[in-house]
Amino acid sequence: MTLLRTAAQKRSALVLVSLAILVLVAVWKPYALIEGAQRGGLYALIALPMALILGIVGIINLAHGEFMMLGAYFAYWMFRGAGMDPLVAMIPAIVVFGLLGVVTYTLTIRRALKAPELNQLLLTFGLAMMAAQFANLMWTSQPFKPSLMYVYSSMRLGRLSFGTYAFVYDAAAIVLLVGLLLFLRKTRLGQAALAVGQNPRGAKLVGIDVNRTYLVIFTISIALVGAIGAMFLTRHSVFPSVGSPYTMKSFCLIAMAGIGNLTGIVWGGFALGVAEALVMSFRGYGGWADVVFFAVLVAVIMVRSFRIRRQTA
Amino acid sequence: MNRSGNAKILMIGVLTVLALVGVVFLAAAEEGPIKIGAVNPLGDITGAQATKAMQLAVAEINAAGGLLGRQVELIVIDSELDPAKGAAAIDRLATVDEVDIFIGGMSSGVHLGEIPALKKYEKVTVWIGAASSLVEQAVEGLDWYFHVHPWDYLQGQSYVDGWAAIEAEYPLISIDKAFWAYEEGAFGTSSFQGSLIAHADWENIGEAFKSAALGGGDYRSVLRHAQEEDPDIFIWVGYGADALPIMEQAREIGFAPPLFVGSPPGWPADFGQSPLAEGVIAYGMWAPSIKDISPVSDHFWNAYIEMYGEEPATYFCPLGYTNVYVVAEAIERAGTLEKEALIAALEQTEYESPLGETLTFTPSNLIAHQGFQGQKILQWQDGVQQVLWPFEFATALPRYPFTGR
Repeated sequence: MTLLRTAAQKRSALVLVSLAILVLVAVWKPYALIEGAQRGGLYALIALPMALILGIVGIINLAHGEFMMLGAYFAYWMFRGAGMDPLVAMIPAIVVFGLLGVVTYTLTIRRALKAPELNQLLLTFGLAMMAAQFANLMWTSQPFKPSLMYVYSSMRLGRLSFGTYAFVYDAAAIVLLVGLLLFLRKTRLGQAALAVGQNPRGAKLVGIDVNRTYLVIFTISIALVGAIGAMFLTRHSVFPSVGSPYTMKSFCLIAMAGIGNLTGIVWGGFALGVAEALVMSFRGYGGWADVVFFAVLVAVIMVRSFRIRRQTA
Repeated sequence: MNRSGNAKILMIGVLTVLALVGVVFLAAAEEGPIKIGAVNPLGDITGAQATKAMQLAVAEINAAGGLLGRQVELIVIDSELDPAKGAAAIDRLATVDEVDIFIGGMSSGVHLGEIPALKKYEKVTVWIGAASSLVEQAVEGLDWYFHVHPWDYLQGQSYVDGWAAIEAEYPLISIDKAFWAYEEGAFGTSSFQGSLIAHADWENIGEAFKSAALGGGDYRSVLRHAQEEDPDIFIWVGYGADALPIMEQAREIGFAPPLFVGSPPGWPADFGQSPLAEGVIAYGMWAPSIKDISPVSDHFWNAYIEMYGEEPATYFCPLGYTNVYVVAEAIERAGTLEKEALIAALEQTEYESPLGETLTFTPSNLIAHQGFQGQKILQWQDGVQQVLWPFEFATALPRYPFTGR
């Protein structure tokens, strides 16, 4: 009981400290807070489907960013060929990339599930290389981006003038988080997936089709990241190597939040986005944004390891 | 001599002539085509389009009967933008394919890796890319090396000359303060440092940003810093992937300096279609609008589209075409592939290029054979790049100030 109370007090203290920092940033560097939140929303949005695969299938999908890149190309060609807005193209992207997920899982991932982790990593790394090279051969390295007027919509609050469209990433991240949590906790398939993620052998013993569950989760993840690629395209150019940095950032976010902690990914993305934007708001220090990103990551992982060791002791 | 004797002599004569003709044809057949070896980065739009333009030029030359009575064969190897692979490509072209001449290519970093291999074979080389003066130092004193693209310091000087000329011609345009946003890699940093020297008469402020090509893509901080400085000219040095997002984010925060300049190696395909492109200044060696004032450029433009069904999107495209024709004309002038004669013929080059200028080779700081001397100042107007300077190639008047709409 005392332990629980202490934990609750610590959590409250953490929330208060976080709020205090946010208020400080809001007063001192309001743009860093606004634009950092927008950056963080994008990071979290991209990381969530990767976390789903890692948490349940147990595979680090190093081709995650490349699937997003292909989703962006898909949306671009829907825009060029059919005049379809990338946000609308998210709907067919879900279908197409869902199918791509089924094919990828059936032909490759499924056959490496029992292989050593290094082999799994090499497999997804190979998929990433294939996807990037495929894009290079198909569309060269030339960047593409549709011109969309709504992406530079802005608003004024007193003396502050800032873009509003990029909040779409925060909104999408929250919607996706809520959707995934509801799916995992309220549906039979989701609960089965959670069980498989925790103990695949036990899940199999109680009659859950583990392979089918993996297939469904992998398919959902790839469908989501394909659709996210379409949304990504609204504010970013697409080119063959655009996805790989986001694979790394997504993986770091998942490591920071802890595997299986979807809510933590959204908070972590927000924190990292604001930290980066805060550093970039100082002229001449933009190059330190990556350093801060990884410094925060290292610090969080070390603190967590320290806490776990203390609890174990 | 009786009639049968005459017929016999006639028959022997005909056979002799036929035999001689056969020998000549066999000798020609044994010579085979003239082989030109190119090393280009095929996965990059610059290399991909330059290669297509080279192939177009070769197709035109062969359709017109070839060179010295022989067909021309272009052998292209992908450098993959990797210095080691570029060097290996030179080795292969020299030893396996036994090419007569080297042409290409892009990227100073890659070319620095290729130069030791080129020095091994000492074949005549006509190179269209690699602007770094480090390359110039590496090829100093090589009489068989011809460089087409202006060196970095020549480009810098051409911008200085260009802006001075524009300010003199249009008194409304005045530049005292410049803000440089440059990508944090070697390309952006060296460009900025070079610009500080070139534009010493301006008040220069610079800040690095992370290009989308390297995982960045959020320019709002650097744009806000530029906005605070209220410069007369804002110049970003990055990649094509940054082009449209940087304009959108500038519009998002309401940043519209009087002159908004972008300096990527190539512009994205759809940039001109955006209303935000209107009035943006660009640097480059060529713009599609040059076809309106140059018949050679017009021919190149139409032939390229007819052959490939796409528009040239980078100035490396007409440079690739120029590359082959300069070599072809020199071979015709020399009448042989013998090295010294070919060098002498290349030194006499006066090729009216699709880039507008007539290409000649003159000494630069360190080498004897430098081609083009500078870049052009262009402006996006109604979705098309127009030439503002040099005035002899100007296709439009400047639209000033930039409105950001």
